[in-house]
Amino acid sequence: MNKKKIQKFSLGKIIIALLILNILNSCSEAYNLQTDTYQEALVVEATITNEFIRQEIKISKTSQFEDEGIEKESGAIVIIEDDLGNTFPFEEKDDIYISKNPFKAESNREYTLKIETNEGKVFKSSSQKLTTENKILDIIPKLVTTKDNERGIQITVNNYDSTNSSKYYRYEYEETYKIVAPVWRQQKLVVTGQQEVALIPNSLETRICYKTQKSNDIILASTTNLQEDKVNLDIRFISDNDYIISHRYSIIVKQYVLSLESYSFRRTLKDLSTSSSIFSPKQPGFLNGNIKCISNTNEKVIGFFEVSSFSSKRIFFNHEDLFPNEPKPPYFTNCDEQEYKFCFGYSVPVCEGPLLISKIKGNTIAYSSNLSNSFYSVVPIECGDCTSFSSNLIPSFWID
Amino acid sequence: MKLTKKKIYILFILLFINEFSFAQKPEDKLSIELKNCSLLTAIETIENSSTYTFYFDPTWINLNKNQISGNYNNITISELLNKIFDETDLNYIIINHKIILTSNNLIYNNLPANYFNELDSNKTTREFNNISGNPIFYRQYDSLNQHKFTKKPSLQFIGKENKNTTKKNFLLSGYIVNEKTEKPEVNIYLKIRDKDISTSSDLNGHYKLLLPAGINIIEIKSMNHVEVIKTLMVYDDGNLDITINDQSNQLDEVVITKKGMRAKETTISGLVSIDIKAIKNTPLILGERDILRVATTLPGIKTTGEGASGFNVRGGKDDQNLILLDNSVLYNPQHFLGFFSAINPYTAKKAEIYKGSIPADFGGRLSSVFDITTKNGNPENFSGEGAIGPITSNLSFGLPIQKNKSSILVGARATYSDWILKTLDDENLKNSEAGFYDGIIKYNNTINDNNDLEATVYYSKDRFSLSSDSIYKYSNRLISLKWDHTFNKKSKVELILTNSEYKFNIDYNSSDDNSFDFGYKISETQLQLKFKYLFNKKHTFSYGIASKSYGISPGYQHPKSLMSTLIAIDIEKEKALESAIYISDNYKIGEKLLIDLGLRYSFYASLGEANVNIYQEGFPLNKETIIENKHYIKNEIIKTYGGFEPRLAARYFLNDDLSIKASYDFTRQYIHLLSSNTTQSPTDSWKLSDINVKPQSAQQFSLGLYKTLQDNLYEISLEGYYKKSKNILDYKVGAELLLNKNVETELLQGVGKAYGIELLLKKQEGKLNGWIGYTYSRTFIKLDSNFESEIVNNGKYFSANFDKPHDFSAILNYKFTKRYSLSTNFSYQTGRPITYPIGVFQYGNSEYTLYSDRNQYRIPDYIRLDIGINIEGNHKIKKLAHSFWNISIYNILGRNNPYSIYFVTDKNGGVKGYKTSIFSIPIPSITYNFKF
Repeated sequence: MNKKKIQKFSLGKIIIALLILNILNSCSEAYNLQTDTYQEALVVEATITNEFIRQEIKISKTSQFEDEGIEKESGAIVIIEDDLGNTFPFEEKDDIYISKNPFKAESNREYTLKIETNEGKVFKSSSQKLTTENKILDIIPKLVTTKDNERGIQITVNNYDSTNSSKYYRYEYEETYKIVAPVWRQQKLVVTGQQEVALIPNSLETRICYKTQKSNDIILASTTNLQEDKVNLDIRFISDNDYIISHRYSIIVKQYVLSLESYSFRRTLKDLSTSSSIFSPKQPGFLNGNIKCISNTNEKVIGFFEVSSFSSKRIFFNHEDLFPNEPKPPYFTNCDEQEYKFCFGYSVPVCEGPLLISKIKGNTIAYSSNLSNSFYSVVPIECGDCTSFSSNLIPSFWID
Repeated sequence: MKLTKKKIYILFILLFINEFSFAQKPEDKLSIELKNCSLLTAIETIENSSTYTFYFDPTWINLNKNQISGNYNNITISELLNKIFDETDLNYIIINHKIILTSNNLIYNNLPANYFNELDSNKTTREFNNISGNPIFYRQYDSLNQHKFTKKPSLQFIGKENKNTTKKNFLLSGYIVNEKTEKPEVNIYLKIRDKDISTSSDLNGHYKLLLPAGINIIEIKSMNHVEVIKTLMVYDDGNLDITINDQSNQLDEVVITKKGMRAKETTISGLVSIDIKAIKNTPLILGERDILRVATTLPGIKTTGEGASGFNVRGGKDDQNLILLDNSVLYNPQHFLGFFSAINPYTAKKAEIYKGSIPADFGGRLSSVFDITTKNGNPENFSGEGAIGPITSNLSFGLPIQKNKSSILVGARATYSDWILKTLDDENLKNSEAGFYDGIIKYNNTINDNNDLEATVYYSKDRFSLSSDSIYKYSNRLISLKWDHTFNKKSKVELILTNSEYKFNIDYNSSDDNSFDFGYKISETQLQLKFKYLFNKKHTFSYGIASKSYGISPGYQHPKSLMSTLIAIDIEKEKALESAIYISDNYKIGEKLLIDLGLRYSFYASLGEANVNIYQEGFPLNKETIIENKHYIKNEIIKTYGGFEPRLAARYFLNDDLSIKASYDFTRQYIHLLSSNTTQSPTDSWKLSDINVKPQSAQQFSLGLYKTLQDNLYEISLEGYYKKSKNILDYKVGAELLLNKNVETELLQGVGKAYGIELLLKKQEGKLNGWIGYTYSRTFIKLDSNFESEIVNNGKYFSANFDKPHDFSAILNYKFTKRYSLSTNFSYQTGRPITYPIGVFQYGNSEYTLYSDRNQYRIPDYIRLDIGINIEGNHKIKKLAHSFWNISIYNILGRNNPYSIYFVTDKNGGVKGYKTSIFSIPIPSITYNFKF
């Protein structure tokens, strides 16, 4: 009787607990995104500068969540006009639009971008003026220890505008570094027959490579809260353990001076993509740029046409310059040797001939050493052949 | 022993059908001694010392406070009863040792021979004055349909029916008392319907009327008071005190109330009045009675969804409602993220919600006023009520301090969910917290005839943790003091001092050193002086002055550990003063036309000490366009705003049961709630207007038609409104509102427009009662600017977050018997708008989510049905407490109504959608309520 009572009580308790739980967990479930909400929109990335070059404009389309890759808008007529009536036509080339002739944006001119897609939609930007010119003063790599106790190279960009009128900046960088394959050997292993391999002289071309990476964040700086128009921005931090600074490293920093509107557009784009708390989520919404569809005002277009004064600067440094007498950082991948028993058929330990052959054919291993013709020690291909993941062409700007 | 009225009626019928002869049998004699005992004791003594049993309604007995003494020897039961009941309104009949008591009327065991003939002649001549000696059966009028009075409960008996009376007319006298002030009302005109009899109350509020026997209908029509109609059954001379209500204080009771003025009569359109007693029948959520939830079933008042705190009244944002508890502002009216209302239903007396025609004495919010008043403690006895539900328990009691002079009311409510969670074995649940409590104390003192004092203290606190590392807390604290003073019969004043404080706090405990304590606080103090002056029969003036000071600590974040790498953030305090003067005239132009002219002037000053950002003129507010950070010293005026707020309302009777009303309101609001969420959350913070944030303003035009049908059994109202507002706060894309030192850079101020039609059909009485409401309404906002970054949706009008065009609710109650009743609540709403991720795009080597236009899509529609059964306790007279059970099932359809839909960008850049539902399954609950 007593026992029954207790059971009853806890049953009641469980029910109540379930009720409370229901509120607390409030039952979140995956919600299928409605695909019928998809609206195609044009995405325009158009920055012309005061550099005398063939200017580039990227035009793509939005895509659905489940789609792979980005579809380019092709067949569009792209023209930039200035307020004197000069036109600068663009042509399509390798997924981007490039001006037919080199030109540079002049100060005191107003420029407008016009796009007519092959579907006949016409887009036009608001007119934009070239922003104040301001050159990058310095790019300084410095050995620092961060507050998170991480040691590494901090690359800082500096500029100074004595007129105090540029104020808003966007930066991009491209870093290029030299790679030396740590387990490059004079010889390399090739498959010569069904169950045969041979060592042949290795090409020197596979030892030293160069790799270039572009920044993909939106890097912004503003000097409005400062007394002087003086940027002192930490643009890139590289840990002392990062193999990219093992040998020689180069970075080019590109600076675009922005208008306030263009700066706000990029900052919001950046803010929206970073996460926030449940209780105070960021207000989502469509981001207006300065380009409008004039043939149909309901047609969406994302992007900003900006006429920016441009400046860039490149620096190089070697590992020893900043880390004298220090060991080099480890290679980005583990280069431990692995031994294969080169035989076929049945034996103890197991014959690994077919496996070795398939790996050589698949170009996933590089030769390291061998004791005899029946035992080969190999390393992952990246350790012996840098062309497996980067290019051995010396970039045109490269100075050793 | 007790007999229900129903049974008495049955007895009546039996008595009429049969000719009883046994009543004439010789009666037994008995002896009895009574010494200073109450009537009830006397009856019990007789029952004990004889074979007679009494049948009566105890309320009749309790009305007689006379002490009975006497030594009766060898007396017949009739003689004895004649003596005992001599001074009372009670009659009796003896049938077979059963004594049936009746109040006022007499049970006839035989009809006069010529009775039916008399009646026939009466019918043709419509002659009401009864010929003496003939019995007066009040039901006869009903059957003959000579008089309309379908409301039997309102029938009152005057005097005791006496077979031997020879008088034709009887004297009725009494006092007219104001229900609210409990003071006599002078010069109130009383008239008997269809008869040429009238009088007015004298200086003491006393009146006398000479009335013919039988049915008389007293009408009190005073322009300053709510109309009173009483149907009397006059048997003899008697006394009747009549309570009346001020028109301006208790206007109409659109909802669920049985007394008072009908919606068709006041000037105010868009007033909803909720009688707290009546909501006991509506189905409950988790066993909780909830005034505010009931409010949302009425047209024009909406919430964003289940568990959403805040209300949207006629297209207003959730910060545009002035929620007053005993005149003090309640900043967060909800517990537990909005599942329960913070108003204790057992201590609240009534809630009046002004959706439009906001009287000039209210100000500071654009859309509505929720004016909730607390009961006074019982001035005579200790009494109370309570409820035991699955989540909370509730107890309130009132007791006199000085009998009939001062009393106190205490109410408290708490959850025991925490305790349950703690006792569970599950680790996750053990560490969860969810609980709240609230308490209220009200003291009132009638110092003398001209002075009244009231004081209320209220506190509520919530505490919950959704994840084990952070605890959220928020609390409301209110203090209200009111002094009523009557100068003379025509003029009186109220002095009100209030203070409210709202705080929230997040206590974040992480495993590393980055624990922090985050908090926010707003407090306000207001002093109000309200005068009322009865100028003459046509004009009643109200005027007054109010001043309020605000202090806000917009937020701090302090690391809890010295090792923390977090920087302590303290956002500078905000301070302001808001003042207003108002005057209004309730002007009766004719019998049919009544107008209310109000004018309010409000003035606002943002005060130092502060460092204020000055932005470059002609540029969008942006961190980058700050040109100066200007320092203001303490109490230095930073910026002032102000303006007139005219309020006009008019009512015109098209005919007796149809009226038309029109109103125009202008309102200003100087304080804004920052909430980028679609629903109000406890961490939303209030921001004061300053140099960079302008005050909001709104204008509302409304028109309404009010009709009663079948002698006020049904009420229909149709109201329409159009509202325009300015400087409505919204947010830039990507806005971040918490702990932002330059929060004005995230804000946009736009124009709003809203319109709607509200239809309400209500039946107040009968076995089936309840109401059905339907609203069609739209709410739009426009955010346009010269700057691209401040334009939303191309600068065109778009649906606001809470724009739900169709809203249908039905609350229907059905009474099976006195003890069992069923109530149902059905609601349907269009799903609210949402900003939807519609695709991805690539920009500058990265992929971004593409969002639709603001609020371009809608979440699925909301449909819910709840059912509740009320079982009243039995009517045993000597029970400790009167009780009833409520069994409710919330969301009986088990529909998975979405509460919110949100999107998360995962590490790979993919976007996933999640839907949160709060009560996706039917939720049963059982509550035990008691009263003592």
